[in-house]
Amino acid sequence: MASILLRASLLLAVLLPIPVLFGEFTAYQIGLYLIYGIAAQGIGFLWGKTGVLPLGQAIFFGISAYAGAMSLRFADGLALQLAAAAAIILLLSSAAFVVAFLIFRGRSESGPFFSLITLALAMIAEQTAGTATEFTGGFNGFSGFASIGGLDPFGNLYYVIAAAAVGMSLLLFAINRSPANLIVRAVADNEPRLQLLGYPTHAVKSLAFAFSAASAALAGILFASHQGIVTPTSTGFALSAELVILTAIGGRFHVLGPLIGAVVVGWASAELRFNFPYWELIMAAAFIIVVLRAPGGIAELLDNSFMRFAPNSPRDESARKDAPMPQGRRVAGSLEFDNVHLQAGVVRILNGISFKTPDTGIISVIGPNGAGKTSALNAITGHLRLTSGRIRFVGDRIDSLPPWQALNCGIGRKLQVPSVFKSMSVMENIAVSMLAGRASWTDYFRTRAFAWRSEELSRVLNRRGVPLKNSMEKQVGTLPQGHRQFLEFAMAIASGPSLLLLDEPCAGLSPEETALMSSLIREFQENSGGLVIVIEHDMSIVEATSDKVLVLHQGEVLAFDSYEAVRNDPNVMAVYAGSTK
Amino acid sequence: MTLLFEIKELTGGYFDTNVVFDVSARIDHGTVLGIFGRNGAGKSTLAKLANGSLQPSGGQILLDERPIGRLPAHRRRELGIGFMPQDSMVFDNLSVRENLYIGSIGESPELFIDRFPLIARRLDQLAGTMSGGERKILSFVRSMIEDTRLVILDEPSEGVQSENIDLMACCVKERVASGAGIMIIEQNLRFLASIADHFLGLDAGRTIYSEASSKSSESEIRAILAL
Amino acid sequence: MSLALILNLAWHVGTLALVALGLAIIFGKLRIMNMAHGEFVMIGAYSPVITSSMGLPAWLQLPVCLLTVGLVALVVERAVVCRLYGRMFDSLLATWGISILLREAIELIFGRGYQSVSLPIPGTIQILGSGYPAYRIAIIACIALGFALLAWWNSRSMVATRIKAMVENPGLAQAVGIDTGRLSRWAFVFGCCTAGLAGLALAPTIRIEPMMGLDYLIKSFFALVVGGLGSLEGLGLGAGIIAGTQSLIGAAFNQTYGYLAVLSLSILFLWLKPDGIHSASR
Repeated sequence: MASILLRASLLLAVLLPIPVLFGEFTAYQIGLYLIYGIAAQGIGFLWGKTGVLPLGQAIFFGISAYAGAMSLRFADGLALQLAAAAAIILLLSSAAFVVAFLIFRGRSESGPFFSLITLALAMIAEQTAGTATEFTGGFNGFSGFASIGGLDPFGNLYYVIAAAAVGMSLLLFAINRSPANLIVRAVADNEPRLQLLGYPTHAVKSLAFAFSAASAALAGILFASHQGIVTPTSTGFALSAELVILTAIGGRFHVLGPLIGAVVVGWASAELRFNFPYWELIMAAAFIIVVLRAPGGIAELLDNSFMRFAPNSPRDESARKDAPMPQGRRVAGSLEFDNVHLQAGVVRILNGISFKTPDTGIISVIGPNGAGKTSALNAITGHLRLTSGRIRFVGDRIDSLPPWQALNCGIGRKLQVPSVFKSMSVMENIAVSMLAGRASWTDYFRTRAFAWRSEELSRVLNRRGVPLKNSMEKQVGTLPQGHRQFLEFAMAIASGPSLLLLDEPCAGLSPEETALMSSLIREFQENSGGLVIVIEHDMSIVEATSDKVLVLHQGEVLAFDSYEAVRNDPNVMAVYAGSTK
Repeated sequence: MTLLFEIKELTGGYFDTNVVFDVSARIDHGTVLGIFGRNGAGKSTLAKLANGSLQPSGGQILLDERPIGRLPAHRRRELGIGFMPQDSMVFDNLSVRENLYIGSIGESPELFIDRFPLIARRLDQLAGTMSGGERKILSFVRSMIEDTRLVILDEPSEGVQSENIDLMACCVKERVASGAGIMIIEQNLRFLASIADHFLGLDAGRTIYSEASSKSSESEIRAILAL
Repeated sequence: MSLALILNLAWHVGTLALVALGLAIIFGKLRIMNMAHGEFVMIGAYSPVITSSMGLPAWLQLPVCLLTVGLVALVVERAVVCRLYGRMFDSLLATWGISILLREAIELIFGRGYQSVSLPIPGTIQILGSGYPAYRIAIIACIALGFALLAWWNSRSMVATRIKAMVENPGLAQAVGIDTGRLSRWAFVFGCCTAGLAGLALAPTIRIEPMMGLDYLIKSFFALVVGGLGSLEGLGLGAGIIAGTQSLIGAAFNQTYGYLAVLSLSILFLWLKPDGIHSASR
């Protein structure tokens, strides 16, 4: 906390003396750059963390500037003006949330489509603002209003802008320190995994978008007061693009990056504009070089040189706190498939699967390649929609629920190819999985949630031979495949699921690691008393671990019985041509 | 037997981090080199160095006694080195047929395809709709039908049922009988012991075992790995 | 509907399809969000200005156009774009910088003002009693022929498959023998050259100026989004819908409404049907 206040006061110490040191006109110019910087900080938050690139932030900037200008023309008194400003920001960010929610719902990627939608919306806004002359003054602009609180744009308004920039940075620094930051970053890294940890990622992205819209709206209100005129260009595509450029040059991964970018670019173009006829040529070339050579922008370069003097110290593994109990239901019970059909296009994947498991134990699913094993798990977690039939868990239907609700039903899952957050450290991966299903709203803004450990998780991490404890600070992308298998297993059991789905947990593991994984699975089942479903090809593992074996073949149930009985089943022997050892 | 492929004191890895150190091995025409080792031992890195996906930082790679260590992967493929990677081993957005033939120039032997009905039946399906094990098999078949003299296989049996593993062994033996060299990485030691002529054991990027003459058995390798 | 209106529609759809073809390759196949695409149209449109200012005969317009655009595209690919495959948003930013750079460079050479060039084929042709410019009819015919040839070649060649493979999994593509550097380079240059050709075709019918590219860029992005990435059929459909909507609503009301209709239509498609009408992902 102390270091956040330190950084914010440093920023304040840089911004406050500018009018005194460099004169009021310079302060006026810096004020405008800071306004753009505040809007760019919102873009940096959204784009740098969630990976969603907004190409139309000027919609919120411009609409807010128009609305702010109108409120300044008609509302008297500072209190009323501030209330109007707050209402404008709130309304615009809620609208942004709704729009993003509608677009992101039912998708688990952020592709270029959202960006293009925001771009088109900005172009519509600009056209409308230019056409609706009676409200906006058309291309002549909307003017004839005083600035907020009657402050002088060349004088005291600067301090309001500086305060807004510092306040925004303070808020972003605080978010960076909180567990919420991990969740937002996890969206960009691996959305399907985050959904399996119980997060509705579309809502997370929409919230982040709403936040960026709020920052653009705040900037827009300040802009109206600062300039005294609002024109259609302040809600258009060109300004949106410029804001993105400022963010990229300054550095989208850092809180102060966009502010730095706005001031540096603004100052440089003001200087060059008068001294060099083709200054835009230089700006464009500089911008290309930043994108190619320093994707993290100016802030990243500054940060790297700063880190050389003050490297991060690793966290202490011993200072761990017990996590609160997971929310939602954790009751052991049986899983039931009732005549489940699944078809993708013309390909028939599951052809009427019916079975009912016991309430506890380990069930192995075997079958030839392409039998529908993974698809059956996908049907349970809602990744595939059934063509017909039902799936029940502890008596309740779960087949029409989206993947992010699986965890709430008590279902944990490990995917076939290890699916973890590659850009994060092992520690951060584990922290995300510990927050899953346990954290309340307030926990996302308290650092103590980072230290949470559950009994299940500690047992795995502290087990001899599990290769995670010594690489807690390592980035997961650098770990070998087998280590990621253990990490994903640990993450899947962190929420203490009563139904654990494991898809080839031993793939790519050496013989001794395979033995270790089998015993971890066994232990988890014994301690939790729940149900574990494992897809496995190695018959010796199947024999050693399973209570029952489900044999699938061409999308149908061939047998469902004990290992001994399945091995002697003539149907199974026919499919396996007698080579089940 | 004549020398086909050789690596001499090879060192390399990702960017500036070396993962493999001073590893040497040779593959003659018509032989199989089996590589084993724990997770993170550097096996996949060695395969990628050999095929050109990664560039070595030291040592030599020779094909027909010609240095190829600086050539990119597509040039090595033209010279006759085929590769089946451990993950992302097929093109999900291409059909099975396109996957099989994308690396082939001219006609390719159909016989390997007919061995695996689950491939032969679904030539027009998108590879992305197949299960993990099926993709492994598809990639394996692709690397077998290509007209190459050395095939590098990185964990072909992962997630594949035992009957298909046996079929894979047959295919490898046939390719070897026709004079090709194979470099195979495996965790399934029974499979590895059944096809390999020579073995290379790796740990922490260094050679811990190199047996160039007689066949090692599965239990011998297990004993080495337990060390 | 009168014949002139239909021919006008064919002109707008055809030229937009030609502009969007290059973007379909560069954005649809190579996954580079090329914001400088409109600038290649612009450079193509300037090539008659180049030939006339150098006193060259008119038939040299075509080679000069292909040479200039191709050379600029090659330099852009080698210097910038080749580092951006697989980094879509970075490609958007860098090519945005390139678009500014190209605009400024052209402004430096030719100035900010409008240029215009004369029609290489003057006069009108009488069809069913109404006259229509002969030049436009010739261009419509050329575009139709070009697309027919392209469709025929595309159905026989493995290039589209190889590009698809390369973009999805560059490492594996290299391992099966695809020279990814060369393939992506020539695909990019080809895409830019078609944009340049479109610019050359449009040149006598529009005002040529450094800022003209943006409009074509936006319209081709929306045509691709509406039609669906990755197939010629989708490209044709998308160009038809975008150019059709704009010229019909533009003719019935005014240009602003036509523009707003195109934008709203694109948003609806991006939101509800992001794969477009004719998705190539089978």
